[in-house]
Amino acid sequence: MAKEECKVLLDALNRVTACYRHMVLSVGGTADSQNLREELKQTRQKAHDLAVANRNNLTAALKDKTVSKEDKAEFERLWVIFSTCLEILETDMKRALELGLEFPLNVPKKHLIQTGLSGGTAGVAARAMSVQNMKYEAEHNIDEVDLKDLEQEIHKVGEMMYEMEMKVNVPQWTVEAKQDPGAELKSTISTGASSGGFVSVEERKGFCDISKLLAAIIFSAVLIIAVILAVCVVKLS
Amino acid sequence: MTIKHQGQQYRPRMAFLKKIEALVKEMQNPESGIKMQSQRVMITNIPHAMTGNDILQWIAQKLWIDNPEAQNLGNFVVKYGYIYPLQDPKNLILKPDNNSLYRFQTPYFWPTQQWSAEDTDYAIYLAKRNIKKKGILEEYEKENYNFLNKKINHKWDFVIMQAKEQYKTEKERKKVDRYTLNCQEKAYWLVHRCPPGTDNVLDYGLNRVTNPNEVQKKTISLIRKEIMYYQQALMRPTVKSSVSIGGIVKYSEQFFSNDAIISGCLPSNPWITDDIQFWELNAKLVDIPTKMRVERWAFNFNELIRDPKGRQSFQLFLKKEFSGENLGFWEACEDLKYGDQSKVKDKAEEIYKLFLAPGARRWINIDGKTMDITVKGLKHPHRYVLDAAQTHIYMLMKKDSYARYLKSPIYKEMLAKAIEPQGISNRSVLIFRSSIPFRRRRLQSSLSPVIVRQLEEEAKAREAATTVDITQVMSKLDRRSQLKKEIPPK
Repeated sequence: MAKEECKVLLDALNRVTACYRHMVLSVGGTADSQNLREELKQTRQKAHDLAVANRNNLTAALKDKTVSKEDKAEFERLWVIFSTCLEILETDMKRALELGLEFPLNVPKKHLIQTGLSGGTAGVAARAMSVQNMKYEAEHNIDEVDLKDLEQEIHKVGEMMYEMEMKVNVPQWTVEAKQDPGAELKSTISTGASSGGFVSVEERKGFCDISKLLAAIIFSAVLIIAVILAVCVVKLS
Repeated sequence: MTIKHQGQQYRPRMAFLKKIEALVKEMQNPESGIKMQSQRVMITNIPHAMTGNDILQWIAQKLWIDNPEAQNLGNFVVKYGYIYPLQDPKNLILKPDNNSLYRFQTPYFWPTQQWSAEDTDYAIYLAKRNIKKKGILEEYEKENYNFLNKKINHKWDFVIMQAKEQYKTEKERKKVDRYTLNCQEKAYWLVHRCPPGTDNVLDYGLNRVTNPNEVQKKTISLIRKEIMYYQQALMRPTVKSSVSIGGIVKYSEQFFSNDAIISGCLPSNPWITDDIQFWELNAKLVDIPTKMRVERWAFNFNELIRDPKGRQSFQLFLKKEFSGENLGFWEACEDLKYGDQSKVKDKAEEIYKLFLAPGARRWINIDGKTMDITVKGLKHPHRYVLDAAQTHIYMLMKKDSYARYLKSPIYKEMLAKAIEPQGISNRSVLIFRSSIPFRRRRLQSSLSPVIVRQLEEEAKAREAATTVDITQVMSKLDRRSQLKKEIPPK
């Protein structure tokens, strides 16, 4: 089913975009490092691949004259989502370029901004690449070498967007959103944990489960002992 | 794919941003920068916090300025979002005490000239916040959310998808980092989408037409344009500064006594003493104007013609001289210039019929060339079509009738009748006010502008009806005498 394929690809692109933005947030701060730049590069490449795949799929689907009207509307909706995603990706890449130029990592005179972040973004990168663990070796001066590639990539994405706009005639404003305002509240899987809370809520939740189980076991054990004692008392008397 | 519309879409140059950035970068120096502390949050310590006092002292010492100026500069740095307060995030000022902590904002969230904070991003942020706070947003955030839902409805699916993804992505970081990231993003949006009641520091007016970041290649056509521009600049008439300054000095000396702020106003300044006599005495068409006003009419012709009472008096004078139609024409032209666009065509035609057509009821005397230009222009009437004729009449009145008016008995009578209001000293007003402490002062409201305009129009209509124009009378007499001459022979 072309639609399902498209949706899966789009979800993947969405995820990579979110991860990329998250990583660009840390550029220039004290959590910045060669590793981060390497992660950015890999995420970017993955994003590019996904974008090309998405574009091919969706253009094929939209050019197909045999699809029904609802299918066509659905594909147009997916197209708008795709194009917005690509816009955001392009902006983030441009900002990454600008920030990368302003905050080179190996120059001792230029200090990074002390933003209070201390952890690494390895987990985020792993999420982006859909792998369990990222295994990479960041080169010594990846930040400078990468910038040229980044520039070229930005050009490529810009061209792709221009081509897309010229070839596919989907006016953005005609698409109606399927989801109502507040839809994000209904289907969030994580319960209870607000990420603003720095108290270990998740652990406590697991702990609660275990403690409940333990309490149930102890209670039933006590009940059995009480029953046995009562039987013994009855027997003895 | 944004459809790049032509026209105004560029943000102006924001040079101050680079200056603040340089200062903020200097603050990072481990030796000569600001002393860092760590912020204690529940059980963890988050590094890289600074006290307000440290920031203030560092700025004062680094830039060799004194404390009030350093405080002002520090306020700017906080307001534009380069440093955000940790305890009171909504109050974007630099508190110079040892208890209020601040932290640097990550460079991604610094304000830039090239990229404004987009609606899509704000929508994603609000959706994320909705998830985090389980639907409990602040009032203005809820409003913005609903508004954005309508505005970028076509992107809404993407917004929701992206918000969920970003929320899940954040889980991959440590809890401490999550807290800091949350604070950062919140601070960013407090600056770029400020809550109601705070002023938007990044407001720059409208978008501009030219891109300040564009580097223009020096092509031949560009250089030709530059040459033309400079040649025109050279041809502009310039005035010697001694002459223009002399003009300003003369004007100031003449109008010095009339200025209410410099020389005070009689009877008393209504804003200070709550006594509106000053406004009543200087109403547009008051019966007896004040002496200062009448004296001002003698300064130059513009003063006379811009004052409604002066115009009225001048009109009386001109009637006696049989040149009343001049001022009537001038007033009609003003009405045309400042009136409704829809009535322009009709008004222009009426004015032509009444004043300019050969044999018109109130024919004005302008030279042939101006008449030609005006008649040609009236084929396609617009607001300023009668400008040439109006200027001619204005100069005529100024050079001719004005001088005679100033010597006329009408003006002299007006000057003699004019009242000089007594100044009420502040003390007497205070006594007056304190003697009736509990009586509610009845504030008299002046006439509604609608009613004033109606009265003016009625007065104009009456005048138009009663104006007898001498040429008509003369022509009537002529015709009657001709008739008389004709009848007897028969």
